[in-house]
Amino acid sequence: MKAHYLKGIRFADFTWAGAGSFSTKIFADYGAEVIKIESTTRVDPVRAGGPFKDGIAGLNRSGYFASRNTGKRSIALNLKSEEAREAVRELIRKSDVVSNNFGPGAMDRLGFGYEAVRAIKPDIIYLSMPMYGEDGPLSGMLGLGMTISAVTGLMSLTGYHDGPPLGPGTHYPDHAANPYHAAFAVIAALRHRRRTGRGMKIDLAQVESTINIVGPAVVEQALTGQEPVRTGNRSPHHAPHNVFRCKGEDRWCAVAVLTDAQWRALADVIGAAGLAGDPGLATAAGRLARVDEVEAAVARWMADRDAEAAMAALQRAGVPAGVVADPQTLMERDPQLRHRGYWQHLDHPELGVATYTSPPYRLDGERVELERPPLIGEHTDAVLGGILGYDAARIAALRKSGAIEA
Amino acid sequence: MTKTEASPPSVVERPYDDVRVIDLTHHLGAYATRLFADLGAEVIRVEPPAGRADRGAPAVPGLGGDVPFVFLNANKRSVGLDLTGAAGRGVLADLVATAQIVVLEAEERALLPLVLSVPGARVVTVVSHFGLDGPYADYAGSDLVTQSLGGITWMSGLPGQPPLRIAGGQAGFVTSLYTAAATALALYDVEVNGGGSHVIDVSAQECIAHSLQNALQVWDLERRISIRGGEGTRDATEQVLACADGYIFLACGLPLPMSWKALVAWFQEEGHPGGKRLAEPDWADRVKRTTRAMRDEFRAMFESFAAKRTKAELRAEALKRRIILAPVSSISDLPHDPQLIFRRYFHDLPHPAAGRGLRFPGAPYRLSEPVWRIDRPAPLPGEDTDLVLRAAPRAAAAGGGAR
Repeated sequence: MKAHYLKGIRFADFTWAGAGSFSTKIFADYGAEVIKIESTTRVDPVRAGGPFKDGIAGLNRSGYFASRNTGKRSIALNLKSEEAREAVRELIRKSDVVSNNFGPGAMDRLGFGYEAVRAIKPDIIYLSMPMYGEDGPLSGMLGLGMTISAVTGLMSLTGYHDGPPLGPGTHYPDHAANPYHAAFAVIAALRHRRRTGRGMKIDLAQVESTINIVGPAVVEQALTGQEPVRTGNRSPHHAPHNVFRCKGEDRWCAVAVLTDAQWRALADVIGAAGLAGDPGLATAAGRLARVDEVEAAVARWMADRDAEAAMAALQRAGVPAGVVADPQTLMERDPQLRHRGYWQHLDHPELGVATYTSPPYRLDGERVELERPPLIGEHTDAVLGGILGYDAARIAALRKSGAIEA
Repeated sequence: MTKTEASPPSVVERPYDDVRVIDLTHHLGAYATRLFADLGAEVIRVEPPAGRADRGAPAVPGLGGDVPFVFLNANKRSVGLDLTGAAGRGVLADLVATAQIVVLEAEERALLPLVLSVPGARVVTVVSHFGLDGPYADYAGSDLVTQSLGGITWMSGLPGQPPLRIAGGQAGFVTSLYTAAATALALYDVEVNGGGSHVIDVSAQECIAHSLQNALQVWDLERRISIRGGEGTRDATEQVLACADGYIFLACGLPLPMSWKALVAWFQEEGHPGGKRLAEPDWADRVKRTTRAMRDEFRAMFESFAAKRTKAELRAEALKRRIILAPVSSISDLPHDPQLIFRRYFHDLPHPAAGRGLRFPGAPYRLSEPVWRIDRPAPLPGEDTDLVLRAAPRAAAAGGGAR
C-alpha cells in the first residue's frame, strides 16, 4: 500500500550522511514531499561511500545512500551562490519543515539558521541534530556514530563479560536512536502546529538522544553508586544465556534460558539428564554459580549441529533460541522475513533492481510501499519550475552560472 | 480537535495533551509509550492489581519495579484491573473507548480481540518479537535472541571470538522507537485525513534488521559480508585504544583527511616515532589500512603515545586540533561530562514512595516550546485507578472489575 498520510507536507531537507537522512526518509515513505538539497561539489558522504552497484563507484550507485533516501526528491545547488540561496529561501517559504544534521553554526553560515528561517516562515518546524548540542564547551567536537557510542556509555557497556569495552560494531546511534527520536519529534511538532499554529525548533543533540537508550544504566548507576558491569552475551539474572558455536564456518546460535521451566526443557533437548536432575541447577541462582559448566554442556551439544536445526529443536521445546544471522542469511534464508514480505525490490536507473527493507511493521495487514531514491539533482528543474515557478530561461541561466549543479 | 487559529503562547498545551494511550506493553513497547507521555499524553498502564510481569522485582523498596521498569514507565499512570473476569474486561473496553491509541505487546495478545471490538477510530499497535504471523510467530524471543535473528549480534565483537549483542536491552529500544513513529503517523492519518482505524503489527526482528548500517546493501550490491571487528572494512585508526586512565575512540581514516593530517602533525610535534612512520607510503593506502597488521601496528603506536595522557587531556587536544577522538565514558563518568553539565542535561526526579530522588537522562530533543517534561515516577500498581475511572464516566459506570 502507498501510505501517503502526509500528502501536502513539504520538507526543505539539508540532511545528509547516515543519521540525518534516515530521520527524514520515513516522511518521504509516508507521502511527504521531501526535497533533498544536495551538491555535486560537496557530495553527501554516503553517495561517495559504498557499497556500490557491482562495486563500481558513482554518485548514483551507492546502496547506503539508496537505503536512506527512498521516495525523496533531489535538487543540486551550489549554496555558495546567492542565486541558489535565494531559491532555497523561496523553497523554505513554501515548506513545513527544514531539517539538517550539520555541526553547530553551519546553517547560520549558509544563512539558514533558525532565526533567519523563522523570519521567512514563522511557523516553520526546524530540526537540527548536531552531535553534542549547539552550545557548550564540547559543542565543537567532531564526531561519528561511534564517537557518540563512546561518550554516552554505550561503548563502555558493550563488550565481552571478561574483556575491555568494544562498543557496537556499527555507528549504531545513527541507525535507530537518533533518526527515530528525530522523526518522532517532528511528527509531534506537526501536531502541535496544527493545534496551536506555532512551529518549533527541535535541537536534537545526538549524544543527549543516545543517552536515553542507555537510560536504565544511568538510573541504576545513580541508585547503586556502582558502575554497571559488562555482561556481553551473558545475563546477570539468567543462565545459560550466550551464543554458541555451531557446525560450519563462523555459525552461531543464541540461547537465552529465562525460566526454570525453560532450563528443564533445554536439558531435555540436549540430553543432559545429569544436569536436569541436579537440584543445584534447578534455579537461576544455582546455574549462575556454575555458569561455565552449564554453558559447556550447551556448547557440546551445539558444536556439531546446524544452527537453524538447533534453533528449531530448542524453540519446539519453548526455549528462546535464534541463529546469529549474517546479512546473507537474513536476506536469503530467513523464512520469517520472507513470509512477511519484508524485502522490497525497487528498480532504479543506475542501481538496477536492488533490495530494500520495508518499514519494520505491517500496517493494516500490508507493507508500506517504498519509492526509489533519487538521482542527484533529478528534480532540480521540477522543483524550481513546478514549486517556485521559475521559467526555463531562468533555470538555464542558473545552470550556466553554476548556481544549479545538476 | 484541530484549531484553525493561532492561540497565544502557553505552557499548557503540549503536543499530545489531549491524547489517551492505553499501555499494555512489556519490554519491547514500553519506551514507545513513554515518548508519548513525555510530550503530554495520558498513558495508562492497565494491569493486574498486583502489577504486570514487566515490572520485575523492585530495585529498592517502594520503587514498584526493577530499574528498566522505572526508566521505561516514568510519566505513566496505572489502573489495576482483574482482566480474567468479565467485569474487568468491560472496564478495559470502556477505557479503550476513551483512547486514541492502544499499544499492546504479544504477552497480552489474548486481549487483542477485545481491544479491536471497541467502536471508534483509533490506532492499535501490536508489538512482538517476530510479528503476528509466519513460521516464527510463536517463537520465544528475548533481547539476545532477537538481536541475533535480526542480524545485529553478527555485527559486533572481535574476529575469532563470538558475535556480540549490543548492551542495555537494545532490542526494546530499537523496537520502541519504530513503534512510536509508526503509531504517531497512523494517528496523524486518523486525525487529519479521517483515515479510520489502523492496526500496526510491529516485528522487533524487522526493526533490528532495519538498523544494520549498510551491511545488507554490502551483500546485495557487492556480495560481501561485513565481518565483526572491522577487519577488511574499518580503518586502522578507527578503534578503541587505551590511554592513562581508560580508553578513547579514534577515527582518522583517509576519508577524514583533516583528522588524519592533524593526528600525524601532533605525533610529529611531540617527537613520537609514529610521526615519521605514519608519513610513509603504506599509510596512504586505504585498503592496506584495513588489514589486521596495520590495525595492530597503529594500536601499539597510539597506545605508547597515549600511555601518559588522560582521556580528558586527549579530548582537549583533539578538540583544539580538530581530530575525531572521544573518551570512552563509563556511565559513572556521564554526570561529570562538562558538556552535559553545561547543558544541565540530567534530571532529578523525586520518588516519594521510595523516599529518594532518581537521576534521569534529560530529553532526547530540546524543543523551543516548553512541552517536554518528566514529572512523575513510574506508577505503583493501580496507583491511579480511582483517579482515572472517576474521570471516565462510562468506565466508572461499568465499575465492578476495578480494584
